[in-house]
This record gives sequence, structure tokens and C-alpha cells, in this order.
Amino acid sequence: MANLGRGVTDLKLTPSDIPLAGDDLARFETSFEHTKEVWGELLEENGNRLQKGNLSLHWMNTEGSAWNKSRVKPSSRGLTLMDINRPDVYGTVPKIAPHRKFASRGSIRDQYLNRMPDVSDYTIMDRDEVWADNVETLYEEAVARQWKATTDVPWDEYEDIVKLPEDIRLASAQVATFLTEVEFVAADMPAKWLYHIPQDFLEVKMFMVTQMMDEARHQEVFRKRAIIGGGLLHASPGFEWALKVILEAPNHTMGSFMLNLLAEGMVLTIFRSGEMIAPTQLDKEIFRLTLQDEARHVSYGVMQVKNYLDKHPDRAAATEELHRFADIAEQVMLTTLTEPTVIEPLAVLLGGGIKYAETKGLDGVAKLWDMLISEYLQRCDRVGLDRHARCTLPRTAPWAA
Amino acid sequence: MGSVATKTSAKGAAEESTPFPSLSWFERLSALMKDNLEHYKKLGYCDCVADFCVTDGGPKGSPWIARVTFDAFEVLNVEDVGSGKTPTPDFMLEGSLETWRAMIESISDGDGRPALDQTINYLSHFHAPMNVTSDDPLRRDLFYRYNQSLQSFISGSSAFDTVFS
Repeated sequence: MANLGRGVTDLKLTPSDIPLAGDDLARFETSFEHTKEVWGELLEENGNRLQKGNLSLHWMNTEGSAWNKSRVKPSSRGLTLMDINRPDVYGTVPKIAPHRKFASRGSIRDQYLNRMPDVSDYTIMDRDEVWADNVETLYEEAVARQWKATTDVPWDEYEDIVKLPEDIRLASAQVATFLTEVEFVAADMPAKWLYHIPQDFLEVKMFMVTQMMDEARHQEVFRKRAIIGGGLLHASPGFEWALKVILEAPNHTMGSFMLNLLAEGMVLTIFRSGEMIAPTQLDKEIFRLTLQDEARHVSYGVMQVKNYLDKHPDRAAATEELHRFADIAEQVMLTTLTEPTVIEPLAVLLGGGIKYAETKGLDGVAKLWDMLISEYLQRCDRVGLDRHARCTLPRTAPWAA
Repeated sequence: MGSVATKTSAKGAAEESTPFPSLSWFERLSALMKDNLEHYKKLGYCDCVADFCVTDGGPKGSPWIARVTFDAFEVLNVEDVGSGKTPTPDFMLEGSLETWRAMIESISDGDGRPALDQTINYLSHFHAPMNVTSDDPLRRDLFYRYNQSLQSFISGSSAFDTVFS
């Protein structure tokens, strides 16, 4: 029974069953007792010095550093990552991370490595599993283009939503509900991999954090939009399978392909459509703000997957693996795309009401479908993955074929 | 095309009118961007080279294109690129004079806020009546990455009167 693990126990959790750390705490204690020789020695040295009132001042020794050799200057837009990465000593990102420590790239660190613990969860040691050539500029852009869901949306115009016809109100609330269900996976997925990326690839880690912040804001803004517009509506089982594929992708690049290139690419199109069919100025503002965030994520995904394939020592095998992954990812994505909770409210909004949903509305969704697929295939082309012959997504919407 | 005329605006005050399409129209938007630096800083960096094309705005109904180079929070350069020029821009937003006119008038009527069906994304989303083209999907996506800034840039036209050729 013990092998069934905590998964089964968790199903029966009640508030009083919040588990104690138990064996995990015992393992933690043992682990740190075993390494006490190293960290205890550091403590003893430091303690002795401080008791004597002495200063070490070893940190003022600049030998082995780039101190004063690599002066950087701010550019017209401030001091950017690109500016500080100009000197090779700070900007050269190693192909293979040299260790599993926290010490900063470009700092004096080699002489201390043997006294530092290893972070065994840093497992992505090859830069080209996560790197994208545009990641520094995307980070800076993300920081510069942050916005606030609480105050940058004209919520004082919410009565425009309340006055909408009931079918339009319901449809726009359902679109918002759909987006609350899917958006946060784009924070969970980078969170899953972030912890496995060593500190030498700091630019990637930093960009991932901006993506997580973006998705927190998207979750926030669509939740607020749904609730102020009447309330949250229906969850969708079809969406959740696509989200599961994203989270359970075998490696980071496959997860990034599914999330950033396929799913975020499609959500970007839906956001653009959202701006187009927005029934109020308030909604238009929401979609304009969110679509620019989404386009950044797509941009990282395209360049990251491209870099992975370009730099892979066995490109043919890596490409075939990605094809195999895409074969499933596309089919699961199709499960999402055919959910009534996304197709139908879009048809109502594109048609201008339930009355025209099956005619003008579905015609509009069919155009959207064409756009989703053709843009997805263009992005695959851009990364060097030719999916034209192998794509399992119908090129045209089922009702338009 | 680059001249600035004076006319009486709909609001009754004597104002400088700027012809459209013209370089001076886009230069005026660029100046407004500079004047509203804080607003554009809040929106964030906008780094792209955009061609704005009036498909029948040139001589004898030929295309007329203004190339606008955005850098961070300002416009570095506005140039007439005739019917196209290499290197290619990141993307081109194109539409007929009639479409541009309807959009610009809507922006003016809304004091900088276009009607729901007159935003640059709305008009271009289904490739008509406007269209966004690029030879690279990644560069085309800059239209979306900077959409709020680009909309704000065009919406700046509500600050002056436009006369149409």
C-alpha cells in the first residue's frame, strides 16, 4: 500500500489531514547533518573571525575579476541587459553550465565552488535546450510593457457591458471564462522548468518570470472581466487535455513548442479576434493589452524551438521527435478548438448575436480557423519544422469543408 | 503632398490642417509622440520599422507608402518609400484611401478613441479592408507586440485636422 503513495491519500484530504513533513523532515535533517562538515566549517571560520573583531576584506581583492576592465554605459533607453552583456566576461553565455551553484556568471567564483552545495534540480545544463537569441530584448520589452489590470482598463465604463444584449453578455463572459481556464498554464509550464535551469542562463530564467507575471495579469483581467460582466460561466474538459500536454511534455522544448508556438500562437489570434469583436471599448482595451504580451511569448517560443533544432547535434532525430510530439499536440489542441465553450461564443460575437451565430458567426469562426492553422504552419516553417504534409489539424473548419 | 494648409476645423477654431496621405501627416504624429513621451513610456518600448501604405494614395491611384522607424518611445525617421523599397520593413499596414479616411475621421470624432470597428487591429484582422503583410511571421508579430503603441500613434491624429487629397 505504501507504494501507492500520497496521491491516493491526497484524494481523501480534509482540512484536518494536512500532512506533517514527517519522513521528509527526517531526510532533510540527515542531509544537512551530512554536509555540516562544509557549512559548519564556514560558520566556524566566520564566527572565529567576528569574535576577534577582524575583517576578512578578501572581497576587495579583484584578481580574477573584470573589475574596472569592462566599463559599461547605459544606452538611450537606460541600462539594459544588452548593455551589461556587451563585455564578454558578463555576456558570454556558456554552452554548458559549468556547475549547479547560485554564483553569478562573471563573478569571482571558481575558488569557492568546492565549498558550495550543488542544486541537484538544476538539470538543464545545455544552453540550447532553453536559449533564444531574442531573450534579452524580450525580457527588457516585457519589463517595459507591463501594465496593471486594476487601473489600466477603463473599468469605470463597466455599465457598457451591463447594457449589452443578454446573448452578447453571455458570450463575452464565456470567452473570458475560457481564457481564465487556459491562461495560467503559461505560468505553470515555465514555473515547472524554471527551477531546472541553472543560474548561468539567467536571461532565460528572467524572461520566464515575466511570462509568469504576464499570465498572472491575464488570469486577473479575464476573471475581473467575467465577474464584472455578470459572472464566470462554464469550464471545459477539452481545454484541460491540452493544458495537460503542455505540463507533461517530455522536455522543455516540446513544452515550449506546444505552449508558446502552438497554444499561445492560437490564443494570440483569439486575442486579436477578441479586440475585433469586442462589444465595448473596455473589452477592446483588455484585448489590446493582452495580445501584445502573448505576441512576446510566441516570439520566444519560435526563436527557442528554432535555436534547439539549429544547435542540436542530431538535427534529424530531434526534428523527428518534435514531429512525433506535434502529432499528438495538434490532436489534443483540436479537442480544445472544437469545444462549444470557445467556438460558440466566438460565433455569437462575430455574428453580432445568437440570431446570426450559425450563419455570419460560424463563417467568421471559419475564417479564424484558417488563420489559426496558416499562422501555426508559418511559425513551424520559421523554426525549421515543416509540418505542411504532416499537420493533423484540418486546414478548414469542419463545417466549412 | 508635404504642405501644411490652414483651414477652419469642425470645432470652429482656425487650425493647421495636414494633408493625408503625406509625410507631414506622419511627421506630425511623430512630433506628438515626442510631446507625449510619458504616455509612450508607460506603454513601453516600440522597436520596429513599419510601412504605412495607402494602396491608392499615390499618383494615378498607385500605392503610397510612408516608412516609419520606431525606436523605444519615439520615431527616428519618416520617409516616403514610394511603391516599396528594400530592405523590407518589419511589416506593412495597408488599406485604401477610403479605409484610412474612415478610420482617421472616426478617431477624430471620438477625440482619439476610434469606434469599435475602426481600430487598426479590427480593420486588418481578416485581411480586409486593411491588411498586415510581412515576409517573416516573427516580424509580422511586431504589429501585435506593439499594437497598443501603434494604435496610440495613429490615434494621435485626433489632435489636428486632416484634409484628404
